[in-house]
Amino acid sequence: MGTTASQLGKDLLSEYQELTFLTKQEILLAHKRFTELLTKDEKDHQNTRVSMERILTLPELKSNPFRKRICHVFSTSEQKDGGLTFEDFLDLLSAFSDSATLEIKSHYAFRIFDFDDDGTLDRGDLEKLVNCLTGETDDTRLTTEEMRQLIDNILEESDIDKDGTVNLSEFQHVISRSPDFVSSFKIVL
Amino acid sequence: MEEQKSVNFMRLLSEESTQSTVSSDSCEYYQMEIFDLLPSVQASRPEPSRSVEQGGAESQARLGHGPLSQGPRDKASTQPLRNLALCMQGKRAARDMRKMQISSIGFWKSWRQSQSTNMKRLWEQMGSAVAGLLPWRHTLHRIEGRFGVGVKAYFVFLRYLVFLNLLHCALTAGFILGPTLVYGRGNDSKPLTFESNDSVLDFFLGSGYLDRSPVFFGYYTRGSLDQKCLNTPLLYFIGILTILFLSLIMVVRRTTVGYKHTQMLGKRYSTNLCYKILCGWDFTIQDPAGAVLKQSFIRNDLRLFLEEQSFSLREAQRTLGQKVRLCLLRLALNLMVLSLLGGAFYFIYFSTEISLHEDGHHWLLSLFLQYLPPMTITFVNLVLPHIFRKISSFEDYSVTTQVNVTLVRSIFLKLASLGIYLFFILTNTKNEQHHCRENQFGREMYKLCIFNFLATFSSVFLLNFPRKLVQEWYPSSAVARRLGKQHFLIPFNVLDLVYGQTVSWVGVYYCPLLPLIGTVTLVATFYIKKFSVLRCCVAEHRMFRASSSSVFFHFMLLLGLLLAGVTLGFNLRQQEDRNTSPCGPFPGDQTVLKVTETCVGSLPSMVQTILRYLASEAFALPLILAEIIILTSYVSRGRANQKAIDRLKDMLVMSSSDKVFLVRQHATLLRGQRKRQRVAQDAPVLQQRDASS
Repeated sequence: MGTTASQLGKDLLSEYQELTFLTKQEILLAHKRFTELLTKDEKDHQNTRVSMERILTLPELKSNPFRKRICHVFSTSEQKDGGLTFEDFLDLLSAFSDSATLEIKSHYAFRIFDFDDDGTLDRGDLEKLVNCLTGETDDTRLTTEEMRQLIDNILEESDIDKDGTVNLSEFQHVISRSPDFVSSFKIVL
Repeated sequence: MEEQKSVNFMRLLSEESTQSTVSSDSCEYYQMEIFDLLPSVQASRPEPSRSVEQGGAESQARLGHGPLSQGPRDKASTQPLRNLALCMQGKRAARDMRKMQISSIGFWKSWRQSQSTNMKRLWEQMGSAVAGLLPWRHTLHRIEGRFGVGVKAYFVFLRYLVFLNLLHCALTAGFILGPTLVYGRGNDSKPLTFESNDSVLDFFLGSGYLDRSPVFFGYYTRGSLDQKCLNTPLLYFIGILTILFLSLIMVVRRTTVGYKHTQMLGKRYSTNLCYKILCGWDFTIQDPAGAVLKQSFIRNDLRLFLEEQSFSLREAQRTLGQKVRLCLLRLALNLMVLSLLGGAFYFIYFSTEISLHEDGHHWLLSLFLQYLPPMTITFVNLVLPHIFRKISSFEDYSVTTQVNVTLVRSIFLKLASLGIYLFFILTNTKNEQHHCRENQFGREMYKLCIFNFLATFSSVFLLNFPRKLVQEWYPSSAVARRLGKQHFLIPFNVLDLVYGQTVSWVGVYYCPLLPLIGTVTLVATFYIKKFSVLRCCVAEHRMFRASSSSVFFHFMLLLGLLLAGVTLGFNLRQQEDRNTSPCGPFPGDQTVLKVTETCVGSLPSMVQTILRYLASEAFALPLILAEIIILTSYVSRGRANQKAIDRLKDMLVMSSSDKVFLVRQHATLLRGQRKRQRVAQDAPVLQQRDASS
């Protein structure tokens, strides 16, 4: 692999193009932005893992309430610290790119919203999700009663098999009928 | 060869094992063994690569992209690698697996596969190149980042109107302006010069110099291109008809696209709340302030939803006396709205009268009087919607109904005031002998168009901007606090656009260069509104869904188009009756019908008979019948689909309940077995019981 600190090799570039939804320009831009996050001596190494804190300084992620979840989902780190290598970063951008399919986007959206990583959205996940959406401070949060009413409504609408949780297929069922989802589930550098 | 294969196989095995270590962070659904064995569970499991591939393939088959007979494996291997929900290493592994498959299926197929990927990539590049040509992408991106999808939808709509008008311009140039310029005008027409009594004011009034210019109907007299079926008047008429028909097709297309979406959203299974939660966050937002705002929209929206729910509960508990009182109140308020509308219409009538009868005043007064009707219409449309908004807050409707009621009233006001104005001008019979009636009509439309733009301009630079400056300079003053923050009211702004486009459509017959003027003003409006949004406004507190209201807006555009068609028909009919138009391509008794008839008369007799048959009642009946049959078939098909959806939903519920039942059965069986074991061994197996509970 011909990764140097400043430039990507031609083979690698075309491989990335094949494996992601990104165009050549987008990959090069992503590489530029990623190397800016690295320190001097890290630049010499291949496949350096950048810690989550530094990834989150990117303006595209900085104000996103799901930023930590996004890092955790796309990280392949063994320590589960949410650190991203350049390839993880490309995976992230690919899933959030304009041309990614609804299938991919909804899959990753599900995993981002699945806070406890148990493969299904239960009441706890939904509560955390609503809290992320409304803001986490005490005065912005919904009251317990409101939250209960809200989650009851969500489950009533989307939980088709009535098992008290929303699984991936139910989630995709809801998402696939939302015309706005593909246009809003996007992060472009 | 054998060795090679075994190596590949080993590699495959090792790849799978690494994948399973990668997937270990996904937890097990349930501890029970049988649950894991159920096929639906395996399909919906996110992590292991094979099940994901299968899931993708299944959903593709569900969508009907390929023949169902192919196995899921085959389908998955034709799916592009990037469609797999795996990390980069996983995709590499999948690719290596596929490479092995390709080498085993032979050269020809692999070549074809690589060709198809190349073709796909080429198409993608072309698509992105075309998308890159669309103007204002960067601006739209920025606006989207700060204000979310809703405000962007307004600007996209604006851009669409610009394109529509550009198309109109091209048609005008091809059918109307081009032939007249190339083949010249009638013999008695004077060359266009700036005369001594013309002034700059003419550009605002559309009189004098502009009256004789190509802007208006009167310029296009019959030139040297004078064959029976190819003459400038006929081309003129065909051009106008093409513009209207093309607009109709384009708007209908966009409306149906939006309509399909809302139909899919459907009221049957209200999943609105789910969208708010599961698709609620707009990941394009970059600005921290924007994110905070978005959170507050969502919060407000959710509170709104809960409020509506409790409102409907309260509504159900109303007593009879309360109901009666509310009815009376609403009746009174509706009467008030009606009287306001009536007053507005009378106002328009009054100003039209004054403006049509003015002559020989000082130029400033004359300018004012000339612009009185547009000013009245704009003023009325500026003030009344806000009054309507206030009124509807007293009516004790739920919040969404309030907004909708206000919108419906404003739309009615907007289109009806334009319609009434047109009616007054059309039925006005004064001084038709001296002037070119069509020119006069076109002039009114020209003035409406110009004034609409001026109103946009001045409302931003004389109202919004100073208001913002006051707030910035004296943020603590009483005035600033009273004024409050400014929001970009998308519905009202879109209404303005629709109104402008309607005026353009109505006027295009009388003022063929109106689309050009429209394009210029729309482009200017884009920049003005961009300034207004980015500089003066904070984002709205009500959520605005891009998809839900766009149908409504396109529907209004259709209404506007209908208004334009009716006006044109009415005017042509009037011309037929009077036979006294002194100017333009259809002077004297050379009316539109006469010109087309002469053309039809010169055609071969076969074509003539066909055309006459097509225009006769004998053809209308079969046409209507055929339409009814087609419509019926579509409606029944839609119903059948609806039923199929219902049945599928039932099946989904049934199968899942079956699954739950089976699992329960299995669990009890296991428990029974364990009990027996326990009795036999006389020692409790704590761990297993934990697992099963």
